[in-house]
Order: sequence, then structure tokens, then C-alpha cells
Amino acid sequence: MKNTLRVLRAERNWSQADLAERLEVSRQTVNALETGKYDPSLPLAFKIARVFDKPIEQIFCPDESD
Amino acid sequence: MAFSFQEKSLWLMFISLIGGFGFYFMTVLPNDSADVMPHQVVVFVLAVVLLVIMQIVGHIVITIVDRRTETDERDRLIGLKGTRNAGYVLATGVFLALCTALLTEGNFVFTHVLLGFWVLAQLVEIGSQLVLYRRGA
Repeated sequence: MKNTLRVLRAERNWSQADLAERLEVSRQTVNALETGKYDPSLPLAFKIARVFDKPIEQIFCPDESD
Repeated sequence: MAFSFQEKSLWLMFISLIGGFGFYFMTVLPNDSADVMPHQVVVFVLAVVLLVIMQIVGHIVITIVDRRTETDERDRLIGLKGTRNAGYVLATGVFLALCTALLTEGNFVFTHVLLGFWVLAQLVEIGSQLVLYRRGA
């Protein structure tokens, strides 16, 4: 799963730690999400969408391998 | 290299397990008697006490250093993968321990094969979690 988390975070001048605090996850989890090594659960994906005020499909899109 | 609270905690458990049970196995092995002797039970209790003290003191230090102690969904998923891997090792160990119970005299070999595989399963559980954390999975 590809995502635009890093771009969205940079637009808001948030650090990974800032985003982690908003999502109530660890900074390492935010890093894993941004690098595409970890796909979030549906509840976390909805939370991310809420934090960035965007629909899920604008943040996440399936990889070619998915 | 920044470690999360969970990683620090796992490293502590990994090292204390090796320390505690390393001390135990180095003290009781090799063994001449077929059965577990009372002094070996004392060594086992000492090893467990040593392990518990190392983990309590270590976790107090880690908690003071790292304020965020809560787990998130990725931590829980990594934990489950570690438990699954440990399950394979433990199942193998139980099977081999049962074989030794049938093939050897006394209870020493049986209990130590079982204990050895339990420790190995714990190390595999923790070790596989550490690998998954480092891979960023």
C-alpha cells in the first residue's frame, strides 16, 4: 500500500513525533507507515484520514503488488 | 539508532533471560545423576530470582528514561508474530522432551530438555520481535 503521509505531514510542518502523538501510536510506527513497511488497520487508517481531514483514498492507494 | 520503549524492554528481557538461565545451565551441566538434585532446584530458584530482579530494576530504569510505555497496533502485531514463532519451538521441545522421557532414565534429561526449549522459545519470541522492529515491519 502506497501513501502520502510524508507529504501531508511535511505540508503541516509536523515531525513524526507530532503525528505519532496525534494518532496515539509510536514514532517508529509513523516511520513504518511512511516507508510503506507497515499497513495500518482500518481504524487507524480512518484516524489518519480524520487527522489530515481527507478521505482515506486520497491518502492510501493500493500498490501494484497488492 | 533510536529504540522505542518496547524495543528496550525486549532487549532487557533477552539479556536477562540469557544471564539468568545461562547462569543456571552453566552451574548444573554437565550432570552425573539421573534425577534432579535438591541443590539444582536451589540454583534454579536463584536463577529465577536473578532474572526477576534484573527485569524489575531494568524496567524501572527504562520507564524513567522513556516516557511512552503504551503499545500500539503495530507493537501488538509484532508481539503476535513473535508468539507464533515461539510456539513452533516450544511444540518441538515438548515432543523431544517426551521422547527423552521414554528413552532416558530419571527426570533430569526430561526436565532440562523441556526447560531448555522453553528458554529457547522465549529467546525466539523476543529475538523475532527485535528483528521485526529493526526491519521496520
